[in-house]
Amino acid sequence: MNEIALAVQNVAVAYGEKPVVTDVNMEFPAHQITALIGASGSGKSTLLRSLNRMNDEIATVTGQINFHGVDINRPETNVYRVRQQIGMVFQQPTPFPMSIYENVIYGLRLRGEKDRTVLDQRVEASLKQAALWEEVKDRLQTSAQALSGGQQQRLCIARTLATQPEIILMDEPTSALDPISTNQIEATLAQLKEQFTIIIVTHNMQQASRISDWTAYFEQGKLVEFKPTDQLFMNPSEQRTADYLSGKFG
Amino acid sequence: MQKAEKQDRLATGLILGLAGIAALIVISLVAYLLITGLPHVSWHFLTSSASAFTSGGGIFDQLFNSFYLVILTLAVAVPLALGAAIYLSEYAPQNGWTNALRLAIEVLSSLPSIVIGLFGYLVFVLRWGLDFSLLAGALALTIINLPLLTRACETALQQVPALQRQAGLGLGMPKWQVTLKIVLPQALPGILTGAILSAGRIFGEAAALIYTAGQSTVNVDYTNWNPFAPTSFLNPMRPAETLAVHIWKVNTEGLIPDAAAVSSGAAAVLILTILIFNLSARGLGNYLARRLRK
Amino acid sequence: MENWHTYLTGASKERQQERRGRWLTSLALLVIGALVVTILLFLIAKGVRLFTTGEGKLTEFFFSPTWAPGAGVFGAAPMIVTSLIVTVVAGLIGLPFALAVALAVTEILPPVAKKLLQPVIELLVGIPSVVYGLVGLTVIVPAVRQLVGGTGFGLVAAVGVLYLMIMPTMTSMAIEALQAVPKQQRQASAGLGATRWQTIHRVVLPAARGGILTAMIFGMARAFGEALAVQMVIGNAAIMPTSLQSSAATLTSVLTTGMGNTIMGTAANDALWALALVLLAMSLLFNLGMRLVTKKG
Repeated sequence: MNEIALAVQNVAVAYGEKPVVTDVNMEFPAHQITALIGASGSGKSTLLRSLNRMNDEIATVTGQINFHGVDINRPETNVYRVRQQIGMVFQQPTPFPMSIYENVIYGLRLRGEKDRTVLDQRVEASLKQAALWEEVKDRLQTSAQALSGGQQQRLCIARTLATQPEIILMDEPTSALDPISTNQIEATLAQLKEQFTIIIVTHNMQQASRISDWTAYFEQGKLVEFKPTDQLFMNPSEQRTADYLSGKFG
Repeated sequence: MQKAEKQDRLATGLILGLAGIAALIVISLVAYLLITGLPHVSWHFLTSSASAFTSGGGIFDQLFNSFYLVILTLAVAVPLALGAAIYLSEYAPQNGWTNALRLAIEVLSSLPSIVIGLFGYLVFVLRWGLDFSLLAGALALTIINLPLLTRACETALQQVPALQRQAGLGLGMPKWQVTLKIVLPQALPGILTGAILSAGRIFGEAAALIYTAGQSTVNVDYTNWNPFAPTSFLNPMRPAETLAVHIWKVNTEGLIPDAAAVSSGAAAVLILTILIFNLSARGLGNYLARRLRK
Repeated sequence: MENWHTYLTGASKERQQERRGRWLTSLALLVIGALVVTILLFLIAKGVRLFTTGEGKLTEFFFSPTWAPGAGVFGAAPMIVTSLIVTVVAGLIGLPFALAVALAVTEILPPVAKKLLQPVIELLVGIPSVVYGLVGLTVIVPAVRQLVGGTGFGLVAAVGVLYLMIMPTMTSMAIEALQAVPKQQRQASAGLGATRWQTIHRVVLPAARGGILTAMIFGMARAFGEALAVQMVIGNAAIMPTSLQSSAATLTSVLTTGMGNTIMGTAANDALWALALVLLAMSLLFNLGMRLVTKKG
C-alpha cells in the first residue's frame, strides 16, 4: 500500500442535531485519485468539505483528521494553512471578476509573492497543468468571466494548483459541465496525480471508474466499502454496493 | 351587461380617476416649484452671499455648507455603516445579541429627525462643547443616516454570490480578506448607490440641523485652505446654515423683503440637486455593475 | 516541511487579520448599538425631569388643555391631540390616492406607465420636507385663506402639507406590496372568469393587505415626526384646536420654536424635553405597529 496522505478516524458530521455522516474511518493514499460515490444525501460531499475545514460554522465535525501526523480537526488548528495545503475545487466554476492572470495568482499574491518572474512562471505552469494554457495564453489579461464554463472550471483548478497544495479536494467538479469539457478535465486529473493527491466526489459512477484508483461507496452517512476502484466495481464485497452499482437503489 | 362587468368598469374608472387626480397634484407641484423657482436662479444668485435685510441676496454660502456637510457626514457614516454591515452580513452569529443589535438599528430608523437633532444639541453642542458647528451637524446627520446606509451596505454584500466566498475560503484566505478583496469590490455598486441616496437626504435635511449646525453663517474666507483656521471655509467647527435650513429660516424668521423669491429659487436648486443625486446614483450603479461583469 | 505540528497549529498573518477584521467590524456595530442606547437614555432622563423635580404633574401634562410654560402650567394635551389629528387625517386622505396610483400602475395601466412614474415617485420621496413646507406656505395657506377664511394657517394647511409629503412614500410602498403578490394568483383568478376588479378586490388586495397597512403606518409615522414643514403652516398656537381652520401646534412644532427660546434646566425647558419624550415614545409605537402588521402578513 502507498503512503497515506490523509487519515480519517471516527469522523461524524452533524448539521445542528441532524447527523449527516457517522463514524467514518478511512485512509487516503498519496498520489492517487480517490473517488467518493453514493446517492445524493449519502454524506460524501459533507465529508469532503470537512477534510479541509470548509464546514466550520456550518456543521459540527467530530473525530480525527490526521494530516502529516497532526489532527487538523481541532480548535487550535490554523485553518488557513490547512486550506493552503488542502485545496478545494467546487461544483460550480467560481472565477473572480478579474483577469485570467490575476485569478491564477490570487492565492500567491495574498501570501505576499511580488516577484513578477515567479508569478509569470507559476501562471504558465499552473495553466499548463490544468490544460488551459494553449487556449488562453494570448489573452491572459482579459476577464475570466468571459471564458466558457469548462474553461472557467479548469481556471479554478489552475488557481488551486498555483497555491501548490498537497491535496486537492474536488466536489463534483464536472457536474455543471458539458461532456466535452468533462473529458478535458478528466484527462487533466490523470496528469495531476503525479504531483498531487486528489479526492473527488462524483455522482457519476462511470467517471469514478474511469479516473480513480480508489473508490469509497457511501450510503446514508456511512462508509460502506472502500477498495481499489477495479475491485470495487468488479467484485464488491457488500450487497449494498453491488445494488447501487447495478442501479438498484436501496 | 352583467353586474360584475359593470362593477369592474366603475371600479376601474374610480381607481384611474383618483390616480389621475394624484398625478395631477404631483405634476403641478413639481411644475410649480420649478416655474416659480428657476427664474430666480441666476449666476449671481448661486455665487453671492445671502443678505440679512435687503433684497438681492444669493445662496452661495448655504450651497457650499450643504455640500460640505454631505462630505463630512458621509466621511463618518459610511465607514461605520459599512463596518456594521460587514459584521452583520459576514460574521454575526444567529443569536440574541445580533437580534438585539438589529432591533436597535431599526429603532434608530424610526426616530424623527427633530428628536435626533435635539439629542445632538444636548450631547454634541452642549455637553461636548462643539457649539453650533458643522461637526455637530454632521454627527447628528450621521446618526440619522446610519440605519439606511447599514441596510444598503448589507443588502449589497448579501447580493454577492456565496460561491465567491467559498472559492476564496477554499484558497486558504481568511474571511476578512475574502470580504475585503472579493466580496467588497463586487458589492461596491450597491454601496455607492446607497451612499449617494443618503447624500441626497443629507442635502435636504433641516430639522436635525437647526439646533446642531445652527441657523447662521459666519463670514468665511474661501481662500484659506487651513481647516484649523477659524475663518477658513473648511473649518468644521464653525456654525453653518445649509440651503434647506435657509429656506425654513427666511420664511419663518427672515427679514429680507424678497424671501419668497429667495426661497423658491433655493427650493428649485435643492430639487435639481437631489434629482442629480438620484440620477447619478442610478447611473453610477449601473455603470459599475457593467464594468465589473466585463 | 520540517515541523508540521508547528506549521499547522501556529500563528500566522491570516489569523491576525481575521481577528482584527472581526474586532473592527463588531466594534462598528457596537458603536451603533451603544449610540441607540445612549439616545434613549438621554432623552428619557431629560424627559422625566419635569416630573421628578415636581414642576409638572403627569395628569396635568397629559390631560390639561393649557400650555403656559411661563405660568408654570404644562398641559401637553393640545399638542398631543393636534399631532394625532393631523397625522391620522393626512394618512386617511393619503391612503386612497396612494392605493389608487399603485393599483393603476400595477394592475391596470401598461408597464410603461410604471417605468415613467418610478423616477418621479423617487424624486418626490427625496424632496426635502422644508420644500413641502414652502409649498404649504405659498400655495396651501393662501388657498385655505381664500376658501375658508381666517389666516389660512392651521390644521387644514398642516394636513395638506403632510398629505403631499407622505403620499409619494406611501405610493411607492403600496406598489411594492402589490408587486409582491405572485402573478400566478392573478392568472388563476382571471382563469376562473373573474373580472379585473374582482381579482383586485378578492385576491390582490387581501394578499397585499399587510404591506398596504405597513405603507400607511409608515407614512403616518413620518407625518407624526415631521417638524419644520408643519411648523411653517400650522400657526403655532399651543391651544386645543376647536375646528379644522383653527391655528394649532404639534409636538414637533412646539419643540422647533421653543427649544431655542428656553434656558436649559428651567421648568419650561424640561417641559419641552418631556414633549420630545412623548414624540419618541409615539415613534416607537408606530414602529411596533408596523412590526406587528408585517408579522401577521
